[in-house]
This record gives sequence, C-alpha cells and structure tokens, in this order.
Amino acid sequence: MWIHSTEAILYEHSNISSLLLRGSGSEEALLPDFLMKLSHRSMRTIRGGRFKPREVSLFELSLEDETHQDLPLMLGEELLQCKPIRIEPAEGKAPVVAVDVSSMKIGDTDDGVLCALRAVIVWKINGAYMYLRCGPIMFHITDYGHEQMSKHLGFKESLPPSMFSSVTMRILGRLRNTLERWTQRLVCTSSKDTLILFDGSLTAGTPDNPVKYVDSILDSARENGNVVLAFSKATKLAIAGQRVTNLLDQMPAPCLLDIDHQIGAQFPPNPVKLLGRVYVAKLSFAGFAFRLDIDRQVPIDGAIDAVSKLSGCDLVEQGYPETLRLAHILSTFTANEVIGIQRFIARNHGLRITSQLSLRKSLFGPFGTGREST
Amino acid sequence: MRLYKKEGDVIQLICFPDELVEKGDYLIIEDQKAKKGLIVQVIDTQFANIPGILEDILRDVMTEESIHGEDYDPFHVSSQITVLKDTRLVVCKIRGAMNNGHICSSVSHLPSRISSKITRFPIETIVENCLKSRPIQLGTTKSHAELTVDAKILDGRLNIITGKKGTGKSHLSKLLVLGLIDNRAPCIVFDVNGEYVNLSKTKPNPSKLQRRVIVLTPGVNMKLTLSQVGLRTMLGVLLFALDLPGNSARVFSGIWRQLQERNELTLSSLGTAIQRWDCHESVRDAIISRYNTIAESGIFTDDQSEATDLERIAGELSQGGALIMNMKNQFSTIRRMTVEILLSKLTDLLMSWKLRAIFLFAEEAHLYLRETYWEDIITRMRHIGIFTTFITNQPDTIRDNIYRQADNIFLFNFANENDLETVSKVAKIDGESVKLIARDLPPHHCLIIGEAVKNFPIVVNVHPLNVETMGETRFFFKD
Repeated sequence: MWIHSTEAILYEHSNISSLLLRGSGSEEALLPDFLMKLSHRSMRTIRGGRFKPREVSLFELSLEDETHQDLPLMLGEELLQCKPIRIEPAEGKAPVVAVDVSSMKIGDTDDGVLCALRAVIVWKINGAYMYLRCGPIMFHITDYGHEQMSKHLGFKESLPPSMFSSVTMRILGRLRNTLERWTQRLVCTSSKDTLILFDGSLTAGTPDNPVKYVDSILDSARENGNVVLAFSKATKLAIAGQRVTNLLDQMPAPCLLDIDHQIGAQFPPNPVKLLGRVYVAKLSFAGFAFRLDIDRQVPIDGAIDAVSKLSGCDLVEQGYPETLRLAHILSTFTANEVIGIQRFIARNHGLRITSQLSLRKSLFGPFGTGREST
Repeated sequence: MRLYKKEGDVIQLICFPDELVEKGDYLIIEDQKAKKGLIVQVIDTQFANIPGILEDILRDVMTEESIHGEDYDPFHVSSQITVLKDTRLVVCKIRGAMNNGHICSSVSHLPSRISSKITRFPIETIVENCLKSRPIQLGTTKSHAELTVDAKILDGRLNIITGKKGTGKSHLSKLLVLGLIDNRAPCIVFDVNGEYVNLSKTKPNPSKLQRRVIVLTPGVNMKLTLSQVGLRTMLGVLLFALDLPGNSARVFSGIWRQLQERNELTLSSLGTAIQRWDCHESVRDAIISRYNTIAESGIFTDDQSEATDLERIAGELSQGGALIMNMKNQFSTIRRMTVEILLSKLTDLLMSWKLRAIFLFAEEAHLYLRETYWEDIITRMRHIGIFTTFITNQPDTIRDNIYRQADNIFLFNFANENDLETVSKVAKIDGESVKLIARDLPPHHCLIIGEAVKNFPIVVNVHPLNVETMGETRFFFKD
C-alpha cells in the first residue's frame, strides 16, 4: 500500500523527484542533464571488483522490472447501471504521440545494484510512424545510497542491496518515473494540437510522482492545444468481484465508460490527486478494454472528442493504440540487450563477471526450484 | 574468443564480430597454467544462440517497414548490443595437441574455459618445418603465408584432385607438373581436353620448358610400328580397348608370331595374313573388325621414319620433363588404345629400369582407363614406379578403395550433396569437416588432406599460373 506513502526517497543526498522541479538548465535536452550527471556520478562509484550479471534465460524472451502500483480498489455496484458513451471515430489526420519508458536491473556489484533506463517517443504524422529512442542510461545504486535512504525512510537497520529489496525497486521506480515525466514534458511542450498518449495513469501525489510536476506537464499540454490520454495496461479497479474493464466486454466499440465519480469517492482529497478523468475505454470490437485517464482540465466534450479522433487516426487493433504499442515495444529491454549492457559495463568499468552463487541450487541441486533469492 | 563447449573432438568457441575467423583457419587453445594446447581447425561458423535474440530480430522486422526513427545513445551502449547480435559460435575439430611447444597426437587434455587463451595458429609452420630440397610452391594459406611442399610428397604416392568444374583442378595439376619438372622428375599427362598442350609456354621460362614438355597427339605426331608395340601390348589393346574375345585373341597371336618369324610384321601384311588365316569365319570377322579400327586409328605406321621413339622420349623425360598425351577430340576407342599402349610401354620401361619412376597425371580417367587398371595403378604399378594423380570432377567415378589408399586429396569446391557425400565417406578426415569446408571453398582454393600437409588439413589459395589456358569452356556469346 505504499502508493499513499509520502516519505522522501533520497539518492546520494539528492531528492530525485525534486530534480525535475528544479529544472536542469537545458530544457530541450532529450535526456535531462541531472539524470546524466547522476548516472555518471553513480557509475563512478564502481570500483572494479566482481559483477554478478542478471541471469537471462533462452526461454525468457523479454524482461520487465516495472511495478504496477494500482490499488485493488473495489468500486460501488451502482456503476453496473451506468451506460457507456458511444464514440464515433473521427476521420482526419490528428497527430498522435506516445511516450514510454522502461527500466531494468542489470546485475549486482560488490557495493550495490546496476540498472538501466530507456525512453521512447513514437509519433504518427500523415500515416507514418516515427520514433526517437533515448538511452540506455545506467545507474549504480550503492550501499551508501541505501544507508542514506534507510535513514530518511525511518528504517532502524540498514537494508542490504538486493533486486528484491523494495527500497532498491523504489529507487529504480523513481528514476524511471523521473525520466518518464521528463520525456512527457518534452513531448507536451514541443507538440501542438496533438493527442499525447502516456503509459499508466494520471494519478499523482506520491513522492515518486509529485502533483506539481504532473500538473505542469498537463498545463503545458493544454497551452499547446494537446490532449493527454493515459492508458493503463493493468488495473486492479474492481466491481462486484470482476475487473472494471470487464464491464465493456459485451459492448460495441468504440465506447467509453465514465468511472471517474466512483473512483474519486474512494480517495481522500490528499495527498493523492486524480489529475485525469477516469474512464474504461474499449476502442475496437473484440479488443481489450483499458483504464483510460484523460486530463481533467479538458472539458468532457473535448475528452470524448479526443477519443473519437484517436479511434479514427490511430490503429487500435486489440483496443490498444498502435503508437503506444510501438513505444512499449521499442523501449522494452530484451535479454540480448541486457547482456549487451552487462558487457558494456564490465568492459568500461573494469568489472569482473562472476557466476551467480545460487543458494537454492547449492543446497538442493536439481530440486532447487522457485525464484532465486540473493 | 572464449572456449564454450567440447563434445568428443568438436570444440565450440564464442567469437565476437571483430575477431575474424573463417572456415579452414587453425587456432590454438593454450591452457597457460597447464602449458598445454589444443590445435583446432574451424569447420563451421554459426550465430551464437543468445537469449532474446529472436525477440530482438522480431522487433526489428516488425518495426523496420512500419516505423523509422533515431536512437540517441549517449553512452554508445548499442554498439555492444549490435556486437552481440553478430556474436558467432565457431565450431572446430581437434587436429592435434601442443605439449610444452611440441606437437603431439594425444588430445586427452581438456583446456580451461577460464584461463585458456585462443589465438590463430600458423599451421604452415608445422607443415613446412622440414627441409625442402625440392620445393613446390602451392599457394598461400588463409593467413596469407606461403605454403611450399617438397616434391617428395608426390613420390610413391597416390593423389586425387577433385572438385566441381571451373574451380581450378587442372590449374593445380599443372602447378604440380611444373613443380616436378623443375625438380627434374618425369611426368606423363593423359590430357582429355587439350588443357596442357601450352604448358611449355608458361612464363617466365618458356624456352626452358620448350625442351622439357613434349606434346604427342595420337595419330598426328604419335605413331608406332607394330614391332615397337609388341605382341603383349597389342593383345592388351585388342582385349581391353577393343573387347576382342579370348579365342580370337589366341588366333591373332598365331598370326602375329608367324609374321614376326618371317620378319613381315607390318600393318599391311597383318591385314593380308588375317584374311588368309585358316580359322572360323566368326573369329576372322572379329579380328578383321578390330584390325580395321587399329589401321584407321592412325596410331600405327609401317614407316620407321615417322614412328615415335618412346624409349628416347622416356630417356629425355628422365632428366625432368613432361609427356602430354593430347587426347582432345579423340574417339573413346582411340583414347583407350593410346592409354593401353602407353601404360604397357611404361611398364616395360620401368621393369627394365630404363626409367626410374614416372608421375602420371590422369584427367577424367574413367573416360579411358579400363576397369582392371584402376587396381593395377594403385597396387602393382605403384611398386614399379608409376605414381598417379587422378583429376576428376566426378568423384563417384573413382572407387572407394582408391580414395582410401590415396595419400593426398586436393579437394576443391563441391556444391552437390552427392559429390560431397562420396568424398566425405572416404577422405582421411571426418566427413563433417570435408562437407562443411568444401562446400564454401571459393574458386582456386583447395583443401589439402593427407601426407602433403602432415595430416593437418589446410585450405590453400592456389598460385596463379602464367600460362595460356586451353581447358576453358568455349562460349557462344562473346561478352
């Protein structure tokens, strides 16, 4: 339930989230200077020694370390009586831009954990898809950082660095979020009269996701005539024991179901803010339904109009916008890329790759099944 | 390169794109701690099966036509990822071992994956480490080093040069003939396509070769009297080249002997005697039909002055030279008769020590060599000093037992699966190596297997010859 937590996560004496608010001095940079500096600084803390690369398997084709932070939130059953809004796909050539960011744990060093981030922007103009891929940039999250963080988080004992350490994952999540918001801001300020697609929700108000910054992104978007639509691939919003997205199973597409009122009622006014109006959207027949957050400051008609344009201008096979799908595909780290990054780090930072000591395999041999703990 | 796997005599290595390794190359896997090494030859290169590569390629394929874009990669990490995509698995065969700097055949040592160092191995240094008093420069190895062998490698040996047409078999054969001539060895070439007739014009020493290369064309400048040929050789011609039945051959012997006793052994008197001989009509007809073939072949003459003195030619060859039997445009019967006569005469000359030994180069031997001679050549004739090199583009025309007894095989490119199968079954190395290496050999490159290369199979780019080639295919279109 740490989506509601408001503790500050610090990294090398720096508050990652605040970095975005401070600005970087090079507003137009594809990758923010502060993250680049943080990356350089953190990678300099590698002092040779051993490197346990993350194991990638032939059968594990793609890798993803993202966490889904949606709450298992039960909505009121009155929603069952609500009627979906039919959408007429609008003909036209409205530009569509999508942003996605991936993060990945690369391996462990003697001092900490190595991870990588990559951001992708995909846009569709005049029927053609284009992309800009930034990264990967690498970070070395160290013991030292953990100690500092542990203190700030109020832990009495220092936490060991580990892939499954929630602190490490939160730092990685925050770094990822920082890059994602930066890229989103870049897109919102540089696009005009565009449908801008984000991956995830427009929920803000956590240390990982400050309201102020998300607000400023949405302001920039509106100033330029853009509409931000955020698609969540996974949602835990439920009603009568079913996922809320199942409500549109039998409905003709495209259509929207407004669930904003029901969700809003579940949240206290602070600290979490729903900056988007929340819908369930089904954009194609026989496709999947998704949670869709549309900038709350955009009038309802404008929001419906934006979905109508999206249905007409972008491919929505299986209910998911093609632009966002491509952004996800291009940002995801494949096993091959993880090995490539591992090789890069080992070569450039004088790390000696050592095999992963497996506790389970050592103890139980071939019977050591289950997930490896380190 | 890193050692990945060893299964039997197969070693697998992981190799990055900047490490250039090709089929046929030799590598040494040196275990620095144990001071031992394995000498291996690359027989195949494949892409390494790296996790996620399928997904990577799928992503590229899925997006390359529908989406274009740019990558901003501040750390240049993508170069490492690209490298991984092209990372190769190098499959090698163990050919020998190195123990404290000495080559040995024991390959029981398993080198360390961690501490082994893998480098190129200059195999030519091993092949060439003996003194060469009779050098023949064959070509360059894959590492661009000269490969020179001693002419001794052909002495007393049976060799096979094979490969598909146009890959350079005759070229290598000419190189060997010239090398032997240079080393004062006698050679005879059965030239079915007239490819060797200009051998004497090879630069830079055409004048020197002019005297040493003798080209004879049956019926043109190669004619023999019956007494030169002798009854035994003539019976061989009749029985094996012209398929005369045994009974008729006995009658022919009687006629021959009678004419010899009367000192009337000429072609015309032989014809008259056959007509008058008291024998069954069918026997007479059989002998007459063969006589007509012999008479019309143009190989035989009653004029002593135009007769070819094979003994004199053999004498000249014994100081180093080549006799080219130009059988281009000859009927198969004439070819068979010519070969029968020559092999018979050679046997006589060798048995009487008028010729010490001779190197025979037989192009497409199945076109003129009778069945029984194959065995003869590799067993009996070898002992009396005929050392044969077969040159063919149809490897299945040479029997398995001949391949097995071959001391050296010079293998050029084969694309045909059956041809590769034939050679791979009988070559001195494993079939897998033969198939994988021979399939990808470029023109004028051959895989040498056998004693000539101390049983370390080596790929050689055969040296070009400065000679006007005559064996090239004639084309209709000029450009």
